[in-house]
Amino acid sequence: MPVKVAQRSPAASPAVAQTLRPPFQPLPYLLLLPSLALIFIIEFYPFINGVSFSFHKGTLLGTGAFVGLGNYLRLFNSPTFYNSLWFSFIFAFFNVLVSYVLGLALALFLNLDFPGRGFCRVALLVPWIVPAVVSIVSWKWLIADRGGLVNIILDSFGVGPIYFLSQSGWAMVAVIVIKIWRSFPFMMLSLLAALQVIDKSLYEAGRIDGATNWQLFRHITLPHIKNISIIQAILMIIWSINDFETPFLLTQGGPSSATENLILLSYRYTFGRNDVGLGSAVAILTLIILLVLSTIMMRQQGKST
Amino acid sequence: MKAPKPRSLRAHRFIAIVVTSITVLLSPLAGQAKDHIDLQFWDMIWGGPEYIDAGKALVAQFNQEHPDITVNYRSVPWTNWYQTFVTAIGSGTAPDVSTGAGYQAVQLYDQGAILPIDDVISQWKASGKLDDFLPNMIDTLKYDNHYVALPWAIDIRVWYYRKDLFEQAKLQPPTNWQEFKAAAQALTNSKADQYGMVTAGDTLGEHLLLALMFNNGGGLFTADRKLDLISDRNMEALKFVGELVQAQSVYPASAGYSGEDAVSAFSQGKGALFLNVPGLSGRLPKIADKIGLVQPLVGPHGDKGTIFWVNNIMVYKQGKHPAETKIFLEWWSENQKDLWTKGHVTQLPTRKSFAADPYFQDNAETKFILDNYLPVAKTTATHATGIFPKLNEVEGEGALQSLSQSLLQGKDVDSSVKTAADRLKSILED
Repeated sequence: MPVKVAQRSPAASPAVAQTLRPPFQPLPYLLLLPSLALIFIIEFYPFINGVSFSFHKGTLLGTGAFVGLGNYLRLFNSPTFYNSLWFSFIFAFFNVLVSYVLGLALALFLNLDFPGRGFCRVALLVPWIVPAVVSIVSWKWLIADRGGLVNIILDSFGVGPIYFLSQSGWAMVAVIVIKIWRSFPFMMLSLLAALQVIDKSLYEAGRIDGATNWQLFRHITLPHIKNISIIQAILMIIWSINDFETPFLLTQGGPSSATENLILLSYRYTFGRNDVGLGSAVAILTLIILLVLSTIMMRQQGKST
Repeated sequence: MKAPKPRSLRAHRFIAIVVTSITVLLSPLAGQAKDHIDLQFWDMIWGGPEYIDAGKALVAQFNQEHPDITVNYRSVPWTNWYQTFVTAIGSGTAPDVSTGAGYQAVQLYDQGAILPIDDVISQWKASGKLDDFLPNMIDTLKYDNHYVALPWAIDIRVWYYRKDLFEQAKLQPPTNWQEFKAAAQALTNSKADQYGMVTAGDTLGEHLLLALMFNNGGGLFTADRKLDLISDRNMEALKFVGELVQAQSVYPASAGYSGEDAVSAFSQGKGALFLNVPGLSGRLPKIADKIGLVQPLVGPHGDKGTIFWVNNIMVYKQGKHPAETKIFLEWWSENQKDLWTKGHVTQLPTRKSFAADPYFQDNAETKFILDNYLPVAKTTATHATGIFPKLNEVEGEGALQSLSQSLLQGKDVDSSVKTAADRLKSILED
C-alpha cells in the first residue's frame, strides 16, 4: 500500500510562513555587543578622532582651532608631501612587483618534488618570521659601512665601497631591497598554497595536446592563481605604503628625506613638529589612497571571476 | 544562674573592640598620612647605569632629611622623550618635577604645563645664592618675563682630534678654518680608509652646522626671532662644510651615520677631527691618550663660537604640592654634585662651586672645555631675544639634520639651504 506523504501546498499562505519563521532572538545581538563595543573603541573611535584632528590645528596637548581643509591644502602645496608620495609609490611598486615575481618563482620551485623540499620551504620563510627590528638592524650592520659584509664582498670583485645608507639613491635601493627580502616569503607561501590546489590532470591534458611549459604556465597556472595574486597584491601594497619600521630603523627617512614615506612624514609632523593636524591629514590621505587602490583592484578581481 | 549572652551580642561586642583598637592604633598614621607628601620626580638618563644609581641615592638622602616628603624617582629614557611628557601631561599624569632638554621647559610652559619659579629665583637673588651660577645660566631660561626652569647642566659641542694621526703627519692641531681645511685634506687617505673629519647625519650633523655658523658669528634668527638661515655668515659656514666634502676630506659614510657610529669611526681612526660632547676620552678609555681637544677655532672674521644647551629642571602645574616640590627643587640643585662625582655625567655643571671642585679642575679635558669653550658657547636662539618655544621644533623636526645630510653628500649648498629654510619657515609660521 503506497504511503501517503504529506505534501505542503506549493505556496504556503503568509500566515503560515510567518509562523514557520523563527521568532526574533535578541540574545545573539546582545552577545555581539561587547565585541562591537571593543571594535568601536579600538578602531572607529580613534579613526573618527584622527579625521577630526586633521581638520584642526592641534598639538599633542590639545585639539586646537578648527581649520577646515587648511591642513590638506598645505599638504597639496608642499614639495615634501609629494616627495613622500613619490617614494611611497616606488617603494610599493618595486616591493610588490619583485616580491611577487620572486615569490612565484620560488613557489613554482617548491611545488616540485625533490629531496630537502621541506627544509627549503621552512628556510625560505625565515625572512618573514624574524622580528623586523632584528632583521633590519642586522641588515644595517651588513651595509652601513665600508667594513660591512656587503662591501667586503663587493671589494673582492673590485667594486665599491658603496655607502648604501649615506647616499640618497643607494639608500632608496637598500630600503626597497630589504623590504623585498622581508616580503617575498608571504608571496611564496600564498602562491604555493594556490599552486597545490590546481588539478594536475589539467597539466597532463595540456602536455598530451603538445603544450610547452610556457603555455602550460600561461594558460593553466596563471589563471588559477589570478584571484589570489590580486588579493596578495592588495595586501602587499597596503603593507608597503604603511611600512614604518623598515625606513625608520634603516635611515630614519634620510638621507635628505630620500626614504621618507607617507607614514614617516606623518610621524615627523606629529611628533617632531608637534603638528597633530598636519600629521593626521597625511594619515587620512594615505588611507584614501589605499582605499582607492584597493577598490580598483577588487573590481578587477570581480570582473575576472 | 544568669542566662548566657546571646551569641550575636558577644560577636557585636568583639567586633566593636577590634574596630576601636585598630582605629586607635592607626590614628597616628592617619595623622601622618594627612601631613605626608608624595612627589613624582622624572629624571632623564644623563649617563650610564651609575648615573641612575647616583640619582636614586640622592633622592633617598633627600627623603631621609625630609621625613614629611617622599620623592619617588623615575628614570626616563631619551627615546621618544617628547611623547612621554606630552602624553603624561595630556592624560593628567605629569610628574611634579622633572629634568629635561634645553627647550623643553619653555615649550611646555607655552602650552600651559609648567609652573614658573620666579619666587625661587627672587629668594635666591636676595640671599646671594644665585651668584653660584655661571654667567647667563639663569637668564637663559627666562621666557615671557618668567623663569621657567632652573639650570642644572651644560651640554656643549667641542672639537676633538686624534693626536697620533696628527703626529704621524707632523701636523699641529688647527687654530682656524684655513688650518682646519688644510689639516683635514692632509690627513685624508681614502685607500687607508682614513679621512680628515668624521661626523654623523643625525642630530650630531645638525650640531656641526650650528656650531660652525655660531663660530662664524652667524645665527639662525634675527633679534625679533625671524628666520635668518641664509645670512652671509651662515652661508660661509655651510659652504665651508661643502668645501670639505668636495675635497673628500669628510668620511663618506658620515651622512648615514648615527652619533654612536661616528664615535666608533673616530675611535678606529677613520676621522682625525670630530665634533662631539664632553667626556669623549672617558668613553674611549683604550685610546684616551690619543685624543686631544682643539682650541675653539677662529672663524674667517675672527669670531669664535660653538653651540651649547642649558639643560634644566622644571616644575609642573599639574603637581598638587608646589611648595614641597620647590623645596625638593632647591635641595636637588644645591646637592647634586654626586651626579658628576658618582654618576659620571658627561655634561658640565652650571654652578661655580661644582665647577671649582677638584673632580672638574683635575680633569684636563673638562677644565679645558670650561676655560676655553664655555665662554664662547651660544644657544640655538643666538641673536634672538632669549629662548622661545619654537626652538624645540626647529631642532626636533629634522630640517637641519636633513640639511647636514645633503651637504655631507656633496649636494649643492644653495639649493639645499633654500630647502631647509623653506622648511624652517613653515615651522616658525605654524
